[in-house]
Amino acid sequence: MRRIGTVLVAAAAVLGSACAAPVVAPTVTPVAPGLLAIADPAAPPGGVLELQIPIDTGAASGLDPQLADVAVSWQLMSLVYETLVVIGPGFRIEPGLAVSWETPSPTEYVFHLREGVTFANGRPMDAADVVGSLERLLAGPGVWATQVGPVASVAAVDDRTVRVVLDRPYTPFLAALANTPAAVLPMREIAAGTVDPATTMLGTGPFVAEFHRQDVLWRFARRPGYWAPARPAADKIIVSIVPQESTRIAALQNQSADFAVLGNVDAPQLLAGVRGVVALPQATTDFYYLMLNNNAPGGKFADPRVRTAVNIAMDRTQIAAVATAGLGTPTGVTPAGLPDACDPAALPSATADLDEARRLLAEAGATDLSFTLTAFSTEPAPAVAQVIQQNLARIGVRVTIQQLDEGSWAGAVYGEVPARFDAALSWFAGYADAGMVAQWWKPEQAQFNIGFMAPDAGLTAAVDTALAAPEGPGRPVALRELCAAVDRDAQMIPLVTRPVVVGYRADAVSPTVFATEGYGNVLRRAADFRVLGR
Amino acid sequence: MRLIGWWARRVASAAATLTLVSILIFAASRLMPGGFAEVVLGPFATPEQQAEVSARYGLDRGVVEQYGLWLAAVLRGDLGTSMISGEPVTVEFLLRMPVTVELTLLGVAAAAVIGVPLGIVTAVRAGGRGGAAGRLAGGIGVSVPEFVLGSLVVFVFSRFALGLTIGGYRPLDEDVGANLRSIVLPAAVLAFFAVAVTARTTRDAVMGVLVEPYITAAVARGDSPFTIVVRHVLRNAAMPVLVVLTTITAYLLGGAVIVEYLFNLPGVGSYVVAAVGRRDYAVVQAGVLLAAAVFVVLNMLVDAATGVLDPRLGSAGEAR
Repeated sequence: MRRIGTVLVAAAAVLGSACAAPVVAPTVTPVAPGLLAIADPAAPPGGVLELQIPIDTGAASGLDPQLADVAVSWQLMSLVYETLVVIGPGFRIEPGLAVSWETPSPTEYVFHLREGVTFANGRPMDAADVVGSLERLLAGPGVWATQVGPVASVAAVDDRTVRVVLDRPYTPFLAALANTPAAVLPMREIAAGTVDPATTMLGTGPFVAEFHRQDVLWRFARRPGYWAPARPAADKIIVSIVPQESTRIAALQNQSADFAVLGNVDAPQLLAGVRGVVALPQATTDFYYLMLNNNAPGGKFADPRVRTAVNIAMDRTQIAAVATAGLGTPTGVTPAGLPDACDPAALPSATADLDEARRLLAEAGATDLSFTLTAFSTEPAPAVAQVIQQNLARIGVRVTIQQLDEGSWAGAVYGEVPARFDAALSWFAGYADAGMVAQWWKPEQAQFNIGFMAPDAGLTAAVDTALAAPEGPGRPVALRELCAAVDRDAQMIPLVTRPVVVGYRADAVSPTVFATEGYGNVLRRAADFRVLGR
Repeated sequence: MRLIGWWARRVASAAATLTLVSILIFAASRLMPGGFAEVVLGPFATPEQQAEVSARYGLDRGVVEQYGLWLAAVLRGDLGTSMISGEPVTVEFLLRMPVTVELTLLGVAAAAVIGVPLGIVTAVRAGGRGGAAGRLAGGIGVSVPEFVLGSLVVFVFSRFALGLTIGGYRPLDEDVGANLRSIVLPAAVLAFFAVAVTARTTRDAVMGVLVEPYITAAVARGDSPFTIVVRHVLRNAAMPVLVVLTTITAYLLGGAVIVEYLFNLPGVGSYVVAAVGRRDYAVVQAGVLLAAAVFVVLNMLVDAATGVLDPRLGSAGEAR
């Protein structure tokens, strides 16, 4: 009996200390500028890497990289396909399949292709593949055509040189080319009908897909004849699709997995002290945002003063600290962490006080405002919704949170035009250039948000100006004005960035991990990963 | 002749049940908010892309017409095409069925090999400490939900692996050792409940038989306890045990969703649940219909076996 009592007291003490412990965001010191970890080049090559990720590619559009519109597809396809340029640490644009490029004018790019690059079937890649791939992308229904920008023409100068001409200056062009949908495809085979990219993956990348069972497993094998010497290092990469977060954490702990992508913002704490396991919080440019439906029943958010009041009440610092355990960062529409991104603390809404919000509500006759916030159930979205609810209570706005599975959420938000929901929470991929995601603030072009967002000519002009602003001192100014315009519009309100946690067993793998990721691709340098003997 | 009539009635009843299930699941899948095109193609899909996908899978037709076409296809043995993978649903199920069957076999085998003897022992020693311990263990086994036990096992074995894996399922035909290492823990979680239910049912059935006069007579004749148990008790206590084992089998074949989810086993249950999330209608409809069919068919077989095991009930059934 005494022993049971002792155990109970000890358990209570442990629980008590756990409850009292403050939440401290783990800090990770980069090992090099822009990098949290660098694969050990001295480790011997070879071996099989066991990876776990939460979801598989959305296969309704098949395996065609040009139709891939979610980060997990970009990530998996990047093992097989390659782009002309790639994103380096700190969002530097680095050579990929193009060894160099020139910009003779603000609307002209000339790419010089790498020698010795072949597709996995052995055929050398040439300028016709690059031209054909870009033309196919621009003519196709894929969303990335919008991000690649106003391309007027693509032409092969010779077998190893490609010239791209834009209609107007578009600064994110190279960053957009660095994402998987802009990969170079085997156009000769596609044109001949011998390869259907929707079902067959044939790229120039370091791996070939040996096996895929939807939602279960991918097996990638090292590709002989890859253009980079001594790469890839690993013989095979086995990617298991493991939706359950706790299972991925458990798999890391008991050595069932070498490397896992984790969405739980508490994962660093959960894995702290587990021998051999490293949990690195990776910043991303993805960010949560609040949608206020301009067509909401009763016209709740049709008055810009109401939307502005809601925006003022948002405490982004609190959302980041509480809902994302300090791993997220407050952001404006230019994702925090990207070069030239605006300072969210300087946004008009951030510099106004709550009295101003209350005054705006009173002016708009909305002092008794209440609405339903529709959120999906994937963590940490419910926690973000709860902090929003608390933020708005400070100005007397009552929020009911409606938590739905992702399918029902998509139906509620995108299923009707005009949309019938009040407000909703979602997140955007933030991409690799500070201006890119702002394209979605042009509903007449984006289309997906036309049901709940009214076009605004001033906002559209601010987006276009920012996208055209050349690198230099003028660009931060244009981006700052873009941030302010989005903030004033307040139909889609950027909140905080959405972090991921990269977990791996240091006794099993030596990976390269970027400090900040723009395309959700934690496997960006998978060809460098070294598998270690345990 | 009476037997033929009995079977005809059972088959008609099964067909009516399955028809009702098909209507319910079809209606439920269409009433779920968020259509396939919105969920899977995502917000960036153009109306043209959505329309193309809808037309490809017949989602642009009227609901009644869709149901009629689906039912006609099912009756021809065609369960439809997964809208996610583009593969026939039958193929997708066959790919996942080995996992479910393996789990089911292990769970049912544990129930039969451990649960039945345990139930007999606790019944025979009902007054002793062994009986009390057996009752307690059975009570715990029945009371602890799978998600609690499964989460506990995941937690414990994440710290103390003992060579067993979590979340890294390998098919039996690929690597026997790796397969067993990945399936032992989920099978044990399932077996915990199955053993407990079987042991309790066996115990109750055996205790009911032990007070029968023919057992007293056998004891008076001087038959050995082993002979009494094997010859008299087991045969007469077998029916409820058979029913519970059948129910467990049907339940597990329908997909042990929680265990598959917790341990990331690519079985039928987790596949159907994922299909619900992505509005992969053909998979959801086929999964629910097949699970119902398994229940119906196994129940019919148990009814038939009942007549063999206990001719009195068989005659009663025929008389009805």
